Amino acid sequence: MQHRFTNINAWTVSAVIIIFLLFLPNLTIVTGLFTPSNENWEHMKKFVLWGFVKNSLILTAATAFFTILIGLSLAWLIAQYDFPMRHFLKWALILPLSIPPFIGAYTYHGMLSYTGVIQTTLRENFGMAVNSAYFDIMNLPGAIFIYTMFLFPYVYSIAQVYLSRQSASLIESTRILGKGPWKTFFQVVLPISRISIIAGASLVVLEVLNDYGVVKYYGVQTFTTAIFQSWFGLGDIESSIKLAASLMGFVILILMIEKLLRGRRQYSYSTTKVRPLPLIKLSGWKAAAAAGYGLFILSLAFFIPVAQLIDWTLLTFGTIPMGAFMNYVRNSVFVAGLSATLIIAFALIVGNFARMVRGRLGKLLPRLTVLGYSIPGAVIAVAVVTAFIGLDRFLAPFYVWAGFSTTLVLSVSIVLLVTAYIIRFFAIGYNSIETGYDKIGTDFRDASRTLGLGVTKTFFKVDMPMMKGAIISGFILVFIDVLKEIPLTLILRPFNFDTLSTKAFQYASDEKIMEASQASLLIIGISALAIVFFYKFLERELD
Amino acid sequence: MFVAIEDVCFSYTDAKTRALDNFTLKIEKGEVISILGRSGSGKSTVLRLLAGLEKPEKGRLIIQDEVLFDDKIFLQPEKRGIGMVFQDYALFPHLTVAENILFGLFRMKKAAKKKRLQEVLELVELQDFGKRYPHQLSGGQQQRVAIARAVAPNPHLILLDEPFSNLDAELQGKIREELRDILKKANITSIFVTHDEKDAHILADRIVKLKNGRIEFVGRPCDMLDTYRQTGVQPSTDGFVEKSLTGVN
Ligand SMILES: Nc1ncnc2c1ncn2[C@@H]1O[C@H](COP(=O)(O)OP(=O)(O)O)[C@@H](O)[C@H]1O
Ligand SMILES: [Mg+2]
Repeated sequence: MQHRFTNINAWTVSAVIIIFLLFLPNLTIVTGLFTPSNENWEHMKKFVLWGFVKNSLILTAATAFFTILIGLSLAWLIAQYDFPMRHFLKWALILPLSIPPFIGAYTYHGMLSYTGVIQTTLRENFGMAVNSAYFDIMNLPGAIFIYTMFLFPYVYSIAQVYLSRQSASLIESTRILGKGPWKTFFQVVLPISRISIIAGASLVVLEVLNDYGVVKYYGVQTFTTAIFQSWFGLGDIESSIKLAASLMGFVILILMIEKLLRGRRQYSYSTTKVRPLPLIKLSGWKAAAAAGYGLFILSLAFFIPVAQLIDWTLLTFGTIPMGAFMNYVRNSVFVAGLSATLIIAFALIVGNFARMVRGRLGKLLPRLTVLGYSIPGAVIAVAVVTAFIGLDRFLAPFYVWAGFSTTLVLSVSIVLLVTAYIIRFFAIGYNSIETGYDKIGTDFRDASRTLGLGVTKTFFKVDMPMMKGAIISGFILVFIDVLKEIPLTLILRPFNFDTLSTKAFQYASDEKIMEASQASLLIIGISALAIVFFYKFLERELD
Repeated sequence: MFVAIEDVCFSYTDAKTRALDNFTLKIEKGEVISILGRSGSGKSTVLRLLAGLEKPEKGRLIIQDEVLFDDKIFLQPEKRGIGMVFQDYALFPHLTVAENILFGLFRMKKAAKKKRLQEVLELVELQDFGKRYPHQLSGGQQQRVAIARAVAPNPHLILLDEPFSNLDAELQGKIREELRDILKKANITSIFVTHDEKDAHILADRIVKLKNGRIEFVGRPCDMLDTYRQTGVQPSTDGFVEKSLTGVN
């Protein structure tokens, strides 16, 4: 055992502390399960809990089904056939990810409402007095539609890359055996892309469970809204901890199912070069249908909502004081930039530690920190607040001694919010950094050390410059995730601290849909740019 | 005695078998040692242990009366003064040839650095290549840069891991001669790993043959040929190891 730690040094110590701190708050949730239950909780368990569970189950199952249907069919078309606009659709179909679902939710509601563009057009141009109820999207099926539209690219992008890299001969041989395209799809494509589908769909499911904006806005009761309600509505932290713990149990169950479905094979590409699938050229109505299908989905999931948001922004431009707006921008950039910087710094330390320790332990320990990404924001919020209130209580004598006017210092500060972001999004940064370390391997580090440089100097002179790409991409990914985040930010932000996304959410909740568009558009613009950047970046890397 | 490796044992984390079992070897100053053996026999492991990149389970490592490793001491690689040429060269891709060579010279004064850079560039005959990046060089040139980088800080000992494996056959012969000249010119004690007996016979003063992490034979190249001739089988008795060890002492 002892020789595993060849370097009990500052690196090891910091890494262990970081891993511990990132993991600790989640433990407070688990302990919540064992505290005696109060009246509220008994009441909730008896009358409403089953309702949340049912809604959450329906939402996740239906969204998973529809995202797989749409994501996989598009991936299959792009990977297998050549048709007009294929090249454009190939990357543009990832763009819907730049629209946070809650923004999509209120945009669609705005368009479909009585005063919205669709009903107005029907009334004024066609003289049709339609029943408004037909256009009501604020319900469970509506939420499923929104999630499907803005989350299907997770399934699409993973499956598309996977299918494009599948050995051509496998698929060709089924064609030669005389199976039509439909039979090929169901009997070959579906089974072989199982692993990528599960990977994409589990991301979708985790996003749905994490979401608060859509269900709150559409009035659908789920675990997340219940956590908010018992916290803010009833002021009952104990019950929200219990709810959070149940939700965490739910997530762990899903992760276990995912592991089971994946089987023992890890999701990875074969390393040997496979012959790329030669594309089948479509023509006539088939080509038109393929392009039409892609464009139809892309319009629903990106162009239509963005066009509507642009329209609203133009209509309301100037009504929102520029000073206030710039303040939201500054706050957003500040918390996103700070969190991303800290996450990347921590990820570099933990990643370097994993390399030094090696063996199973080195792989396992960092995995603990990655758990945060599968835990819904509301759960992390509850955990972090509980931990920080405990910390403040512990530090209270110090605050008194230092002459603070209150003993709640950390738990109402920006530190709380940034800590929560770090726990939730650490995995995003860590994956990127870990890939970076894997790619450069250990020879360069070893070479540097035999040339007389210690671990730390080696890190700055060799590892960092060689991992520039991984560092930049990790930073950007975390940055846009924080920018779009809703539940954590709403619960944990200090008083009077607004970001672009909380402001957009508030405006929308107050039925000031048009005012929400400006902030929303900026979030979408930044995220879309990042996505395009990545697409081009990845494409170059893969060549 | 210049380098002494005594009873070193080692296994990798999570590995079931020992990668190296009771490895013992003594090396004179200026000697060129070749470690010969099949892939997986533990050759690279010997070099990594000497360089301090892995920590032995037990044993002792001494260079020039300084203990690098025993029950109490483990000297970090950067403190050992041992140069290493990696199998894939591990030239830093973000640095030029000159910057790669200067990398290990950070303790020197500016003028001394410049002088040393010129010296080693001349040694490997790459005077005009200082400003290039590694990817702008041929395989043979890259290898010479790696050697130059390793010898530049004047290490007590230089370790080379399969220095010829990445070169095509024609180049291998030429580089082998070059390497012998470079090593002799620089008069550095060296250990190089190979799986090709020919390399060992041409370059080495002494050969160590490894099999499954154990020493199978130690001796001069001609002794190895003798045993082949006499018995027709590869020698493997421990007694032989002892004899040839003491024979050199
Ligand atoms: N990093 C490692 N982790 C676990 N086992 C290793 C590692 N490196 C080498 N080994 C094992 O140790 C043995 C010796 O390896 P090595 O010294 O690299 O052999 P050689 O250089 O002679 O080909 C082999 O069985 C190899 O599989
Ligand atoms: Mg080797």
